[in-house]
Amino acid sequence: MQEGRILSAKRINNDLLRGVFENPLRYWLIIGFLAIFVLGAMGAAGYMINRGLGVTGLNRPVYWGFFITNFVFWIGISHAGVMLSAILRLSKAEWRRPATRAAEVLTIFSLLTAVMMPLIHAGRPWRVIYWVFPYDFSRGIWPDVRSALVWDPSAINTYLTSSILFVFVALIPDIAVIRDRTTGIRRKIYGVLSLGWRGSTRQWKFQAIAGILLSALILPVFVSVHSIVSWDFAMAISVKSWHSTIFAPYFVIGAVLSGVSGVVTVMIFMRWIFGWEEYIRKEHIESLAKLLVVIALGWFYFFAMELIFGIYGQEGDELATKHMQMFEPPWVWFFITFIVCSFCIPVPMWLFSGVRRSMFWMVVTTILVNIGMWLERFIIIVPALARKQVFSGTWYTYAPSAVEITIVAGTFAMVLLLFLLFAKLFPLIPIFDIKEGQVLRDEIQVGRRKVPAVIRED
Amino acid sequence: MAIQHKWGMVIDIDRCTGCQACVIACQAENNIPVNEKVDFLSRRAKQWIRIDRFWEGEYPNIKARFIPVLCQHCENAPCEPVCPVFATYHNNEGLNVQVYNRCVGTRYCANNCPYQVRFFNFFDPKFPESLKNQLNPDVTVRSRGIMEKCTFCIQRIRRAERIIEGKEGRVLTDDTMRNGNYNPACVSACPTETLTFGDLNNPNSQVVKKSKNHRNYKLLENLGTGPNVIYLKKVDAHYQKEEHHA
Amino acid sequence: MLREAIKLSVHGEEIDPKAVASEISKGFFDLGLVYKSTLWILLIIFLIGVVAFTLKALDGGIQPNERYNWGYFSAISAFVLMGAGSAPLVATALRLTKNHWRRPFSRIAELYSLVGILVVFLYIPLLIMLPPIEGRKTIWFTDQFPGVPVWWDFLGILFLVINGIALLVISGIPDLAQAVYQSNGKKSTFLKPMVRWWKGSQHQWNIHRLSLISLGATYFLLLILMQSLINVDFVMSLIPGWKDAIMPAHIALTGIQTGIALVVLTAFLTKTFGNQETKKYFPMESFWSISKIMLALSLLWAYFWFAAFMTLWYGRMPVEQTILKTFMFEAYRWPFLLNVFFSFLLPFLLLIWNPVRKSILGPTFVAVSVLFGAFFMTVRLYVPAFGLKDVVGHELMFVPEAIGPDLLDAAIIFGVLSGVILIYMLAAKIFPMISIWEFKEGLLYQRVRPFMRGNFLVVGRPE
Repeated sequence: MQEGRILSAKRINNDLLRGVFENPLRYWLIIGFLAIFVLGAMGAAGYMINRGLGVTGLNRPVYWGFFITNFVFWIGISHAGVMLSAILRLSKAEWRRPATRAAEVLTIFSLLTAVMMPLIHAGRPWRVIYWVFPYDFSRGIWPDVRSALVWDPSAINTYLTSSILFVFVALIPDIAVIRDRTTGIRRKIYGVLSLGWRGSTRQWKFQAIAGILLSALILPVFVSVHSIVSWDFAMAISVKSWHSTIFAPYFVIGAVLSGVSGVVTVMIFMRWIFGWEEYIRKEHIESLAKLLVVIALGWFYFFAMELIFGIYGQEGDELATKHMQMFEPPWVWFFITFIVCSFCIPVPMWLFSGVRRSMFWMVVTTILVNIGMWLERFIIIVPALARKQVFSGTWYTYAPSAVEITIVAGTFAMVLLLFLLFAKLFPLIPIFDIKEGQVLRDEIQVGRRKVPAVIRED
Repeated sequence: MAIQHKWGMVIDIDRCTGCQACVIACQAENNIPVNEKVDFLSRRAKQWIRIDRFWEGEYPNIKARFIPVLCQHCENAPCEPVCPVFATYHNNEGLNVQVYNRCVGTRYCANNCPYQVRFFNFFDPKFPESLKNQLNPDVTVRSRGIMEKCTFCIQRIRRAERIIEGKEGRVLTDDTMRNGNYNPACVSACPTETLTFGDLNNPNSQVVKKSKNHRNYKLLENLGTGPNVIYLKKVDAHYQKEEHHA
Repeated sequence: MLREAIKLSVHGEEIDPKAVASEISKGFFDLGLVYKSTLWILLIIFLIGVVAFTLKALDGGIQPNERYNWGYFSAISAFVLMGAGSAPLVATALRLTKNHWRRPFSRIAELYSLVGILVVFLYIPLLIMLPPIEGRKTIWFTDQFPGVPVWWDFLGILFLVINGIALLVISGIPDLAQAVYQSNGKKSTFLKPMVRWWKGSQHQWNIHRLSLISLGATYFLLLILMQSLINVDFVMSLIPGWKDAIMPAHIALTGIQTGIALVVLTAFLTKTFGNQETKKYFPMESFWSISKIMLALSLLWAYFWFAAFMTLWYGRMPVEQTILKTFMFEAYRWPFLLNVFFSFLLPFLLLIWNPVRKSILGPTFVAVSVLFGAFFMTVRLYVPAFGLKDVVGHELMFVPEAIGPDLLDAAIIFGVLSGVILIYMLAAKIFPMISIWEFKEGLLYQRVRPFMRGNFLVVGRPE
């Protein structure tokens, strides 16, 4: 799609490598600022592991709180990569080009952050290897594959590995560009990483095939990851409002909504930080916004189904959970904030092309969506535990402690920090993809109008 | 050859006065730290057996109803398949066993227990100096990060099997269990004989006989957990009179 | 040369925009001998079905306690609602994605909305046979609201069908006008006054486009709503203790899968048995592209099924185990296995191979498989649900015995299916089966231009 101009290859290289080769002071200031948060979170985590989980707000019955909410949230954000990269690549959508690498990189870093959450929230993190490593450490006892918690590491690690491969395969030509512009030790490192890329026809062909194969193969992995994470909850028969068959697709589509919104936020920040107005254009954000409308409507259907069937069973504890979620303060405020921020404000706004084409409003709405989606996970997890079964004497509530808030804030800082560090090493917009898009551009005269067109290679 | 045991308990609600002797006995036997006010307020108090109290009626005809709830040692325990490290499993004597040194502390078992009888060690336990000699040497002192729950005083059962069956070659009957103090602490401490413990595989045991009472029921039966704790319904004279009128 | 040949096989021969209307209109008004005799045979089978229905109705009556006899009737009605109700989505939903390969399928998909008339009549006896809400769990939550559930379900189906027919008519009028003005028979003279008001002005085309978009959106929303309501009312609510949030979505998805299958099969039949001139309107690219969607849908089918199965099976709760045994593993095991095989295994194992996807016979064969799969799905869901006599109870405690079809059921099934095909074949003579205006619109955006060392298709993106 063609609102931009045709740019020379040299101009594209220089623009997109700006992040790698230029060193503005404000970049290092932001890195320092984020690093403070990350270090603070690490300190809090260390304190918590030393003293015990009592420093959190967890209690009996609410044994899972902020950390698990954060875990599910970051797994959700990680679904952006596949949605945009794989699906849009397979459906040959032209407007994916600037978004793919940012999405894939966001996937990897949010996955890494997500993985840390269950590890630190375990009661004895120093023994966690019994859980995640397929080996009989003591007396021939393997991890229990009946447990959804054991399916998690398999799914997440598969997704992480394939996402890293995916990013790397797409990075190789761009690493070669950097290799050719650097000297000394940097040239050596980039040289090794670029695997001897010369840009010959044969290499391009293999790179394209690898990208397409990985796109197709990563799709089932992506669906399975969040489904398996949702089954951490759905397999529990005691927590009635978790035991719903719809959890798997509900969580997956919520993750896609959350992730794609995250990518839009990140892309608009990239455009601002690196001055990439020629590459991240209004048409891209507009197309992403239209996709978001479709995803949000699908998500709303699953949300409505989950709510309706929660009430359908007319079971005491489930009705009490829904009552707590929707009517008891402060949960009623969380619920209202969630539904307003995730759906009621953004979706009607995205129906207007004025909003879709405004960078400011897109950043605002997508951040609102993610605030709402974080609250959604919180509302699903905690009230269900707080109103478990019919032993109302054990019903309670939950409030996070300073340690939990610090660590959760630290995870946000960590993802941003890793993202910005990646920008220093590799270009965040795929150079060769942009150049390919330019080569395939064309125009058709239809009556009195010139319509943008694409040359179909098949 | 000794018969394969299947340990079970019968709790006669009609007899329970809510005196909490079982709670204290369990605490003393199993090295559970003393629950202070702050523990109850923060909902982290550990009571492997608890007395749930229900109020019925309007003033001045209020009645308190008590039901002791402890680990039901379910045949189809929801807490067992969800533990990622096999720290909880069902042994061949019908007990749901918690292996402290294997537990990683994910707390999924506690979330999946419908009876809410699993407890987590949020901090390292603190025992007052004067009470340290009171700790039971047969029971592990759990550090922070470990799940715990009622074990049917498995240390006593094991001692019984070791001494009575192993060394002396006798059979474990209700009398031998009571005389040797091999019943769980709560059962021994109960003044009204609300709690009865025994071998469900032994047709002569009190648990088998009492469990056949027409008042029997199990908690949350529709979940299909298959508890090994059988409750006997309370007989309420007041209620019966209404039934006569109807 | 080879590259040119491959492109030709994918995109089809070049179509001359000026010849589109005349080529398509040529076959429109002639009803050949084969066509007429097929219509007569279908009518006879349909009437046999009607007779069988009447016999069954006279035998026991159409009332809630006779419900257990009518399981197969409800299954086939659900199958028709699922398939013919979802087929117009192929036109409307794909129109929103603004691709070009959907154009051959549009009118074929829209014509299925006329089958909705049959659906309305099929559901009248079925709605009468629903037991009262009292004492059982339903999605309506209260029986105090007037008209639940029978009247609201009926209105919903009615509005869905009206919406679909409106879509068809608005989409078809320009083509009908073209066809009428292109030919000179008795029939066209008769139709001329009805289409004279369509002038093809800019204003009319704008209204045309906007109405198709809005009616398409409302159709989609109504369809998902009605599929969810009908399936909960006719299946889940009739089984006490069954709470399955994904079941409506699963059946809606199967419906979309079936709708696409119907459209693909019809497109194949039109291409094979239609006029020589119109064969090039069904290029392989359309079948190739829709086969990817079919692959995705078969995988999604398996995913939704597995989500339901895993959640119910894992917890070992007695009522959930009973439900699994009823609907999947014991009582209705064979319909279930056939359902999985035809809806997922066979389509998946075939469509993962590129040569199967990149052909015309491949997706067609898979479409037939999907249709069988959807039929067995409705059988395994609706027959046990209708067959359960006592629906007012706390939880399903026993696995009911499987009910097999009898001769009257078989006659009704074949009758209904014949009715569907009959109505469709009649509808195809009301509006042309290939969408003239959509094809001409598509041709406006396609050019063949030289690029690098060959000639490639350049496709414009409509704004």
